[in-house]
Parts: sequence; C-alpha cells; structure tokens
Amino acid sequence: MIAAFGIRKYFNVKQSMLSNLMLKAVDGVDLKIRKGEIFGLVGESGSGKTTLGRILVGLLEPTEGDVLFDVDEDVTSRYENALLKGDKEELEALSKKYSIFKKRGNNRKILRRKMNIVFQDPYSSLDPRMRIIDIVKEPMIATDYLKGEAAEKRVLDLLEEVGLGKSFAQRYPHELSGGQRQRVAIARALATEPEFVVLDEPTSALDVSVQAQILNLLKKLKQERELTMLLITHNIAVVSYMADRVGVMYAGKLMEVGDKIQVLKNPKHPYTVSLISAVPQPKPRSIRQRIVLKGEPPNLIFLPRGCIFHPRCPFAFEECGWSTDEIVDDLSYLISSKYYESFGESVSIRTKDENTIIIENAKAELISEIVEKEKANLKSLTAIKKITQEVNYVEIKIHDFITPELYKLDDGRKVACLLFRAEEKNA
Amino acid sequence: MEKRMEAKEIEGLRLSLVIFFSNKTAVVGLMIFMAYVIDALLMQFAPSMLGVNNPNALAFDYSNTIPQPPSPEHILGTTYFGVDLLQAIMQAIRIDLGYSGLIVISGALIGALFGIISAYAGGWFDEILMRITDIFFGIPYLVLALGVGFALGRTIESMIIALIIVWWPLYERYTRSLTLSIKEQTFIEAAKASGVSDLKIMIKHIFPNTLPPVLVQISLDLGVVMAIFATLTFIGFLPTGNLPELGYLTSLGLNYIQIAPWATIFPGLAITIFALAVNLMGDGLRDVIDPRRRSS
Amino acid sequence: MSEGPVIKIDDLHVYFFTRRGIYQALRGVNLTLNKGEVLGLAGESGSGKSTLGLAIMGLLPRNAIIPKGSIILGNGTDLVEKIRGKAPFKKDKLNLRKNELLIRNLNKHLQKIRGKRISMVFQEPMTALNPVLQIGYQIAETVLYHDAERLIRRALAREKVTREDLRNMIKILKNEGERGIYEYALKAGLNGIEEQIFAIWNREDIHEAKKEKMIIDLAKDKLGLFERIGLKLARKGMLKIPLISRLARRALIKEGYRVAKELLSSLGIPQVDSVVKMYPHELSGGMRQRVVIAIALANNPDVVILDEPTSALDVTIQAQILELIRNLRKKTNAAFLFISHDLSVLAEVSDRIAIMYAGKVMEVGRVEQIFEEPLHPYTKMLLDVIPTMEKDTLKPAKGTIPDARYPPPGCPFAPRCPFAKEDCLKFDREIAVTKDHIVSCILYENKK
Ligand SMILES: Nc1ncnc2c1ncn2[C@@H]1O[C@H](COP(=O)(O)OP(=O)(O)OP(=O)(O)O)[C@@H](O)[C@H]1O
Ligand SMILES: Nc1ncnc2c1ncn2[C@@H]1O[C@H](COP(=O)(O)OP(=O)(O)OP(=O)(O)O)[C@@H](O)[C@H]1O
Ligand code: SF4
Ligand SMILES: [Mg+2]
Ligand SMILES: [Mg+2]
Repeated sequence: MIAAFGIRKYFNVKQSMLSNLMLKAVDGVDLKIRKGEIFGLVGESGSGKTTLGRILVGLLEPTEGDVLFDVDEDVTSRYENALLKGDKEELEALSKKYSIFKKRGNNRKILRRKMNIVFQDPYSSLDPRMRIIDIVKEPMIATDYLKGEAAEKRVLDLLEEVGLGKSFAQRYPHELSGGQRQRVAIARALATEPEFVVLDEPTSALDVSVQAQILNLLKKLKQERELTMLLITHNIAVVSYMADRVGVMYAGKLMEVGDKIQVLKNPKHPYTVSLISAVPQPKPRSIRQRIVLKGEPPNLIFLPRGCIFHPRCPFAFEECGWSTDEIVDDLSYLISSKYYESFGESVSIRTKDENTIIIENAKAELISEIVEKEKANLKSLTAIKKITQEVNYVEIKIHDFITPELYKLDDGRKVACLLFRAEEKNA
Repeated sequence: MEKRMEAKEIEGLRLSLVIFFSNKTAVVGLMIFMAYVIDALLMQFAPSMLGVNNPNALAFDYSNTIPQPPSPEHILGTTYFGVDLLQAIMQAIRIDLGYSGLIVISGALIGALFGIISAYAGGWFDEILMRITDIFFGIPYLVLALGVGFALGRTIESMIIALIIVWWPLYERYTRSLTLSIKEQTFIEAAKASGVSDLKIMIKHIFPNTLPPVLVQISLDLGVVMAIFATLTFIGFLPTGNLPELGYLTSLGLNYIQIAPWATIFPGLAITIFALAVNLMGDGLRDVIDPRRRSS
Repeated sequence: MSEGPVIKIDDLHVYFFTRRGIYQALRGVNLTLNKGEVLGLAGESGSGKSTLGLAIMGLLPRNAIIPKGSIILGNGTDLVEKIRGKAPFKKDKLNLRKNELLIRNLNKHLQKIRGKRISMVFQEPMTALNPVLQIGYQIAETVLYHDAERLIRRALAREKVTREDLRNMIKILKNEGERGIYEYALKAGLNGIEEQIFAIWNREDIHEAKKEKMIIDLAKDKLGLFERIGLKLARKGMLKIPLISRLARRALIKEGYRVAKELLSSLGIPQVDSVVKMYPHELSGGMRQRVVIAIALANNPDVVILDEPTSALDVTIQAQILELIRNLRKKTNAAFLFISHDLSVLAEVSDRIAIMYAGKVMEVGRVEQIFEEPLHPYTKMLLDVIPTMEKDTLKPAKGTIPDARYPPPGCPFAPRCPFAKEDCLKFDREIAVTKDHIVSCILYENKK
C-alpha cells in the first residue's frame, strides 16, 4: 500500500556563522503500511513522528530515501531486492513509477486526491477567514475532483458524516469548539475520498469525552471505507484502542515495530518497556514494575553512538556504544565523590584515544574492585574490557561497540536492540 | 439554526463596535477623520454647497492681500493674497487627503505584493528584496523623496510617485513579517496537503489574513504621509501656483508670522489635528483586531 | 494520614464579568483538603478547576467576583471574607477599577499567609518563570520575600559554627538521628545550621565520606566583612533602612542561592551548581517543571496547588514528575491539590479525588471508590471514555459541556445524562453515600 525506505531527514541548524550543524529528525526509517490498516506511531516529543508523517504525505522531501505509494508486496520486495543488490536501474525505474516525490502535473493532482493529513492543533489548522464550506471544498477544487454544485453537495454530506450537520457550512472556524473544528479538519481530509490519511495527534488538544467521539468516528470510517491511516500520537492509550500495528520511535529511529498486542502487552525493546511502564493506568494502587527513565532525551545533533538509547537504557551492556567520555564521566564521579576517601585529591583521569583511558596516581586493583561493585548501577562501566597497571598510571581498555538494526523475532515483530541480535540469528 | 448563525455574526460585529467605542479617544479620532472625509467628498462632488466654485484653485483677493485676523466674515481670518483661510483649508483637505490616501494605498498594495511573495518564496528573491528595502530604510524619508522627486521632475505627479517609492518598503517589511508568521500556521500546510497551488495559497489564504493589520497600519500612516506631503510643498519643492494645499497655505502665511500668526497656525493645525486623529483611530482599530482584547 | 482539614471550602461561587456575558465558573463548591493528603481534582476543560485554585490563592483577575461562599484555613482565617459579596456595581455593570482595587487590597493582606502557607504551580509552564532571571535568583527571591529571617539565620549560624561543632553534630547524627541535631543547634545558638546539614545528609547521590567532608566544610564558608555587618544589622530589624538593606540584600540573595541548590538537589536535579545559574529557556520542559515545583516548595508550605503540572510533558517525563510528587508526599507533610483532566494521572498520585462539572463538584471519594465503584453518571462516563486495548467502542455522552454563561438548572449533567428524569432539573444537593463518598445525583437520594 504505502512503503517508505531508508527515510532520513536532516535539518540545517545554524549554530553560528561558521558551523552548520545537522539536526537528525528522522534517521533511517523503513515502514510499510498495509491497505485498510491503522498504523500507530508513538514516541516522545521530538522523536520525529510528525516529520515522518509529513514525509509520507509528500509535504516534506526527505534528505535520503523514498516513499512508494499504491504498491503491492511484489513491488516492495522487488525494491528491497534492488536495494540489497545495489541495482540502480531497477530502483530508478520503480521510483519513477511509484515514488510520491516524482509525480508531476496531473499525476500529482491525482496523488493529492489519494492522500491527506489531519493536524494536531484544531485552532490553527483552519483558515480563520474562510467559511467551513469553503474550507472543506478546497481539496476538491484544487485537485479537480469535483466542482460547483456537486462539490457543495458533497461538503454537506461530509459534514453530516462527521456528525456536524449541514447548518455548520456557513459558519466561520472561530464560532466552533475544538472538537467541532477537528471534525471539520477530518471532513476536509476525507473530501476527495483518499485512500491514505495521516492523523497527527488528532485528539491531544481535546477533552476526553470529545476525544472519544472523534476516535469512534475514525473507527467507523475505517470499517466503512477501508481507509488506511497513520495515527501519530504520544498517547499510548489512544494507540492501544485504535491501531492494528504499532511502531515506537526514539530519536528519529524505529525501536520496535509489530502487532499492537505484542508490542503494547509484551514489549521487548528496553525503551518500549520503560515507555509502557510509564503510562499512567486508570487503576489506583495497581502494583506493577515501573521503570522511570533517568535523564533527558538525546541531543539530535550529536547522537550517541551505537544504540542511541544506551545512555538511558536500564539493560545496556558492553557493546551498546559506550564512549570513553561517558566512562570518564562516571569514573571521575566515583573517584572524586563517592569513593573520595580512598582516592584523595591527586588522582587525574583522561581519555587517551577512542578506546583507552588513563588514570594517574591510582592503583589498578582498587579501580577494578570499584568497577565490579558499581557495574550494576553505572552501566557504562560494563564496557571496560581490561584494567592494567603500568609503571606510573593505570590503563583502561574498552570494548568495541555494535550499532543495532531492526532484528526480526519469532513472533514477527522487529526490535532494534542488541539483546535480540542472537534471537534473529537463531530464527 | 439559520437565525442563530446570523445572531452570531451580528454578535461579532457588535463586539467589534463595543470594543472600538469603549475607547473614547479612538471615537474622537474617528469623528475628526470622518469630518475630514466628508469635507473632501463634498468638495469633490458638490463644491457649490460649500460656496466654492473651483475646488482646485485658491480664490485670491488682490484687493486686500495682507492677512486679516479672524472676523465674522472670515472666521479663521485670511492669509497672503487675501485668501479666506477657512475656505482654503476646506479645499486643501480634499487635495491632501486624496493624495496621501493614494500614496499610502498604492504603497501598501505594492509593498504587500512584494512582501507576501518574498516571505512565501524565500531564497534569493527574499534576499534581494531585503537588501533593496534596507537601502530605502537607510535614507531619511524626506531626503529620499526629495532625491526621487528631483530626478523625476518637480511636478505633482512625480511627487506622488516619489512618495510611493519611499513608502512601499515599509509595507514590504510589514507584510513580510506578517506573512512569515501566517506561513507557519498549519492551515497553510493543510492547504498544501490538499493540493492547493502556491499562487492560490498566497491569494486565498495569506493575503486575506494580512489585510486587517495592514488596514490598521494604513490608517496610522495617513497622518504621517499627509505631513510629509505638506512639508514638501511648504519648502517650495513643488511649483504650487494657486494649489489649495495645506503646506503651501502654511508657507503663504510664513512671511507675516510676526503680525499674523493665525495665517500659519491654522493650516498647520489642520495637519496636526488630522495626524493625531488618525493615530487615535488606528489605535482603536488595533484593539478591535487584537484577539486578546476581544476575549476580555 | 489525614488529620483534619487545612482548607475547607464552603458553597464557593466565583463569577467572571466580561463583555460577552457573566461566566459562572464556580457555582457552589464544597470541598475539604486534609493535612498530608493528595486531593485530585478532575473534570473537563472549562469545569472551573483552575478557577478554584486561583480563588484559594486569592489570585483572581479583576473581572472576578465572589458573591457567596468561604475558603477557611485550618486556623480559622476566611480567605475571601474581605471580598465576598462586596463587588462594586454601577447599575448592572461591575466597576472593574474598584473591583481591581478590592482584590489588590485583599492580596496585600493575604500575601504573607499565601506565599508561606499556600503556593501554586500554574497551568502554563512558560509564564511561571521570569525569562530574564537566573533560576537560582528566582528561588532566592521567593525565600527572601517571604522568610528573610530564615536566610539570616542560616548565614549567621554558618558564620558562628566551628569544625568542632560540626564534627560533634555528625557524631550525633550517626548515633541519635535528626532530633539530636535540633537540640545541639539550639543549645549552641546555631539554629539555621541544622537544615543545611540535613540537606547534605539526605542526598542520595554521594558517598557518606564526601557528605561528612561537605558538612565539615560548612565551617569554611564565611561571609565578607560588609555582608556580615549587613546581616547583623538586618537581624536587628533594620532591613528597612536603605543602605543596610543594600548591604544585606546581596548576602541574602547569595544565601538564597544556597537554599536553591539544596532544594533542587533534593528534587533529584543533577549538577545544581550550574543549573541555578541558568535561565529558564536553557532548561528542558521536565527540568523547568521541576524548578517551578521547587519554587512552590521553597518555603515549606502547608498547601501546594498543582494545576496540570504534567499535561505539557511527555509520558516518560510525566512519570518522573509523578514519582517526584509521590516522594515529596512522603517527605513533607504538605497537602497537595492536584488538578488534572487526566483521571489516569490522578489514579497514580491521589488519596482522594473530586470530580467537577460546570462549576460544581459531582462526586468526591477515596481513589478506590472513584475508580472501582463510581456513582455519578458523569464519573462513570469519564471512566468509560478512557481508551484501552480491551474496549471495543467508547461511550461518550451526547452533547458538549454547557456554556458557563447559561448553566442548566438543577443537576448540570442532566441534559447529557442517560438516566436523567424530570426531577433532575430541580435537584441540587450532595448526598453522603458513605462517610467519605459524596455524590451529587438524584439516583442516590433514597439509598443512604
Ligand atoms: N523545519 C524544521 N527545522 C528544523 N528542525 C525541525 C523542523 N521540523 C522539525 N524539526 C526538529 O526535528 C525534531 C523532530 O520533530 P517532530 O516534530 O517530527 O517531532 P515529534 O515526534 O512530532 O514531536 P511532538 O510529539 O512534540 O510533536 C525536533 O527536534 C524538531 O525540533
Ligand atoms: N479571566 C476570566 N474571564 C472570564 N472568564 C473566565 C476567566 N477565567 C476563566 N473563565 C471561565 O470560567 C470557566 C472555568 O474556567 P477554568 O479555567 O477554571 O477551567 P478549567 O477547569 O481549569 O479548564 P482547563 O482544563 O481548560 O484548564 C470557563 O468557562 C472559562 O471560560
Ligand atoms: S542495544 Fe538494547 S540493551 Fe543496548 S542500549 Fe540499546 S536498548 Fe539497551
Ligand atoms: Mg508532532
Ligand atoms: Mg485550567
């Protein structure tokens, strides 16, 4: 139906006149959404959900990667094969035929008819100077779908369908409540009978009872029309109610993709596990394992190496991508704060190269002992491979790291975590 | 249902009026402005009602050219060449108001056109326009107007063109900044997602949304432009002959300022009062379009 | 835990006068907040939750009036006595200027009480902090404003304390616990030092030896000559004299920064030394919210009102803040009024929950009662519309919340309620189904 391959979107951010840095909003996402499916995309703020959604409806061109629309299994597997083999010609040919970014002129109009988007904020997504009828009519006129009387009649039908009633046609947006506006936005998105709609946080500005009305409406539309939807939200409860499949995003990458019940009921990726455990439950005093993630979301300009989640991951281990800087940070905390009495003031610690750390005026034995003791709390220490005593300093070597990909598990879901690398090999 | 909708629209209008009229000074401004406009309209279409034969020429009275103080015959007195000041000012208002309106509105239209395109398109076009307007902003109005007017020849038409050239960059910048913020609103992106072309987005979505603040700006600017226009004639930049124009009227009385101060004060006052009035009115209008004011 | 009310609200009415009409935001709210509890306040947008918080704080805008009702503190002070029913009217119109004066006078009168005993975290996270002042300064200023005495005490105690004293106190701390320190400090004339010692001692991120060193180092941290003179004079009540206040103020703000650091590290913020020197925009949303909570807690208040403290935050950050509030509840004995439109969030932190609708409280009960045996049809609906994986459809009530200008008569939920009968339009009472479970619905009239 719609398939995205290797999508990357980097934004230029000017730090100063000289340096031009790249903010990696979306960083290598593959995604397939089947016909008639609701795909839920969750993740914290800034993880790139909206950016991905805008790329999928062609509002934003990706820095890298391609989106194919109206394709079947056959085409996507041909594309995948071509990608693997590096077959440029085949890629070119398929892209020319199916890519949403290569459509021009009339084809583009037809494409625009087939996909649309509903935005989060119902207050700024409707032009305050247009009447509802003109707002809903706009996509039909712009894509030559319908004109004049026919279009107006369809507007009235659509308004009925989203539960507003014909009388709203002549009103202006500011006379409507948030829920009513969001219905208008949905009516507009449905005007040209699209096959694919992106819903970007369609209910997060609304009250719970209004949210319920909108969600019910969307469910009805899905059943009656076989509409394919990408539902973007940070509200896990909404996704668990609506979606068929779920993708979890973190810092521009997909961490886990799979069937809703698998991912939400029995999450595998450490990030998904902590995300789900953080969701407040409407059951007071329910006893459950809560993992409160420490720290802040990552800096999207300088992403951590290896697994991007490793600085916050409660299960991280030696190969997850620890850098000498992270280890030096933790060691110097131990030396200068926690075990201050055993070390005193004279110890100095520094990075020598990518995988070597030097500590002066300390004993290897003592450091090994402390590292063993603190490993469970300070995960970075797991990456220490060897501690050797040289003549007047201690040398620490660290492990190499691996960057995880999406590994496919037995139950069909995919997880981007090294803990599951072996499982895929076995499978 | 239909009725309720009408009621809502009326309520919106009523609210706007209530907000405007709750600002007392704005109402005074509006009343003065209306007086000027009515005077100008009458002068244009029915000058005889005001006892004027030719609204385009001052009625000189060579029998007594020395300025006379206010008297029952000449309520505001007379100025040099025996011109009745009241009548002359009433004639002049038409010319000043008409020309400054013409200048501001054309400047606004040109500015809005470029402002919207440059903000919407961005890139090199925007960059070039920014530099051009920078140049205009670097030079004082009056100097620039003098320069352009000099280059084009010292006629009233070239004067108007000069002032439009001076004035449009202001609106270019203003609509540019308005457009930049409107562009960020999601309804623009929604329109793109619906397949609306860029040109149509600018015409149907961006232009109507820049309009109210631009109109307020126009009302605020009218006074300034009138003052500049008058200044140019005052310093004798234009061959005025017997043109009823406030700046020229002021300059007529200037030689007699020692013995007949009213001859400079009254025309000057006509300019000042107008500038003040439109400013007050503009402030009131600004309240009306300010959503925060509306909700309180 | 509950040991009697710290705030008792009775039949509270708050109206807003606007050009578009009179908004009846609160229409007879009865509610008590007990010592040491977290009371959750839920309800949809526009039900009057924030207005209730603001009324308790006395922070009403100038177009607000309180025609009826009272807000009584534990010690018997009625917070709204001065403005109740006193709104200045000119014919039918509210005289805004005079009303503003009235409210401002009330605020002046309440300021001391409010800041120290009641504090609030506001709904809009951006407006709560001043963008041009350092975080530490903002906390310091709050403490200085409400409790300059505490800052003087702390600084002078540090001035006087010797290493010997501190070593003794560490020994006492290890053997006898916190109580011994109070006694020692009192005897040695060092009160003000104890809270500084506790703040170090209770930190969880550093080793004991380091803590001991930090405590001993307190004795090293002496004031400059002028600062000392300033503080000593300030202590004698000469803070009002211009030059002295100048001298003292610098020292006091510096001391305030120390309080800020202690407070922030007790809220689990790392690297407080640099955080106190940052400006609000340099902090992430979660961090900023913690700072705002720190400011609310700066003077050890009895009551903290939290207005949607997590609504603008991500789930993971929200979980951090909720954890923080759960911990605070154990550590302090303040009472919390936690406002949120998200029942699931309230389920996590509250002891009791009140459900509001159209300016009235529909149901109050312990958290289990509300979730397991909800009585009011509105509460039931709110629970029914929480989406979950198991639910097939959600069942929202038809219609929308009423316009606050034209509230329906009787039970405000009647127009949307599936069980409504004729009599509901006249019903307006609260029924105590059990001692601590109160509902305002006609269906329970005879089931007492
Ligand atoms: N046009 C842009 N220019 C620069 N940076 C951008 C732009 N659009 C998005 N970003 C950045 O890309 C990152 C991802 O943004 P995005 O809006 O996709 O996140 P999101 O997952 O939708 O978050 P939220 O839940 O807050 O909506 C953010 O850090 C954002 O600041
Ligand atoms: N300053 C004000 N002037 C006029 N009306 C007001 C004012 N503040 C609040 N109101 C009105 O009072 C009612 C209650 O508002 P309040 O902010 O207390 O609701 P809330 O429950 O906090 O809602 P939300 O969940 O949206 O924060 C609303 O109808 C609102 O429009
Ligand atoms: S690879 Fe897995 S275990 Fe390692 S840091 Fe990432 S999520 Fe954690
Ligand atoms: Mg988003
Ligand atoms: Mg509120």
